[in-house]
Amino acid sequence: MQTVKMVISGAVNAGKTEFIKTISEIEVVSTERPATDDTRLIKKETTVAMDFGRIAIGDDLVLHLFGTPGQKRFDFMWEILSEGMLGLVILVDSTRPETFRETNRIIDFFMSYRETPYVVAANKQDRPNAWSPEELRLALRLPSHIKVLPCMATDRESVKNVLLELLDVIMQRSED
Amino acid sequence: MPLVGNIRDFGLSDFLYLVDRGYKTGCLHLSRADEMASLYFDKGKLITATRKDDNVPVTELLVRKGKLTPVQAAQATQVHQSQNGVTLSQVLLNLELIGRDELQRVLQQHIEEAVYALFSWNEGEFRFEQGQRPDPTAPIMPTPLAVEHLIMEGVRRIDEWGRIRDRIPSTDMVVKFIEQPVERTKGINLAADEWRVFARINGKDTLAEIARKTGMSEFEVCRIVYGFLTAGLVDVIRKPAPVPMLATGRPLAEAPRVKKSLVTRIINRIRGM
Repeated sequence: MQTVKMVISGAVNAGKTEFIKTISEIEVVSTERPATDDTRLIKKETTVAMDFGRIAIGDDLVLHLFGTPGQKRFDFMWEILSEGMLGLVILVDSTRPETFRETNRIIDFFMSYRETPYVVAANKQDRPNAWSPEELRLALRLPSHIKVLPCMATDRESVKNVLLELLDVIMQRSED
Repeated sequence: MPLVGNIRDFGLSDFLYLVDRGYKTGCLHLSRADEMASLYFDKGKLITATRKDDNVPVTELLVRKGKLTPVQAAQATQVHQSQNGVTLSQVLLNLELIGRDELQRVLQQHIEEAVYALFSWNEGEFRFEQGQRPDPTAPIMPTPLAVEHLIMEGVRRIDEWGRIRDRIPSTDMVVKFIEQPVERTKGINLAADEWRVFARINGKDTLAEIARKTGMSEFEVCRIVYGFLTAGLVDVIRKPAPVPMLATGRPLAEAPRVKKSLVTRIINRIRGM
């Protein structure tokens, strides 16, 4: 059985858990547990919290979706989760400009390690005062080749669209 | 729908950048305690700014500055009231009561000072109303002002690390130009020290290295680069960490290359959900 991994990241309350819940075939596993020695960077007292979802692609292939912890104290998990990932979705709460800096920090983090295919999902587009994807692109200073997509993490079609757009980016980098 | 937030979280210079790059037309309302200011933009450029305690027609402002007599002001106001769709500034020019350059100079100075004072606000609610236009009697400049210039001057007045650190967390970061920086600098007048830093940007040197090479303090270099960054001239990136290599010569941290057939299978599966 081959597994591939996508990572869903974003600031606290960006909608990561909801995003995974909406598309996962299994009940989303949200964990909070003591760290183990598996993660060398983790301090003993640190707890780990993340979300995990799964989509079976076929008998021999499964897609795992990992939601990174949003809190700063769990930064160390990002590196671990990003190892071997196929692609990355950065979720942004479009109604909360106070989280934009943190979002940039997260993007910087992931991009400083590797050239991972990623898209930005402008979540909560159904809410009043949501910044549009184009406004978010400017606010986050994202280059024009990075896709910034409208998203409602509670809507399955919207989540599917984000994943398909990410897969389109991944496809462009894949080999025959 | 208005864009709302607090400049504590999304700074004035960041917002000006957004207005500029988004070619926004509308009004940015700022409020803090009993202070209020409104900045009006047309296609990304500033056309006027007013503060609650100094919200006067252009004629009154010009009379106050000795550029117009009360009689001329009354004449212009009367003509303006009989015309639709024309600003009072335009009427003053049409009546040749003041020259275009002179009007621009006086209004620009007045408006710039109003805006620069706002850069000292560490917090304050903002609300951007798309499409909102100023009152036709407001001191509207004949030539709208490019915001890069405002950002650079506003940033010169920043004297605290806190705000700079939000964008430049470390002096180990590398500064590089973004696309066509020469084009972007056309509206900006750089001071001598700013040129010294500008000339050292090569996409390789860190801020600390630039400080050493220019003999300037790290704070001063960071403050100047913060201005370039906010005006959209440069980007600041982390110095790439050395990537460990596998025996095959392939970088350890490189994202895995996947087969198109595998991606196609995932696409088909998600489409079918």
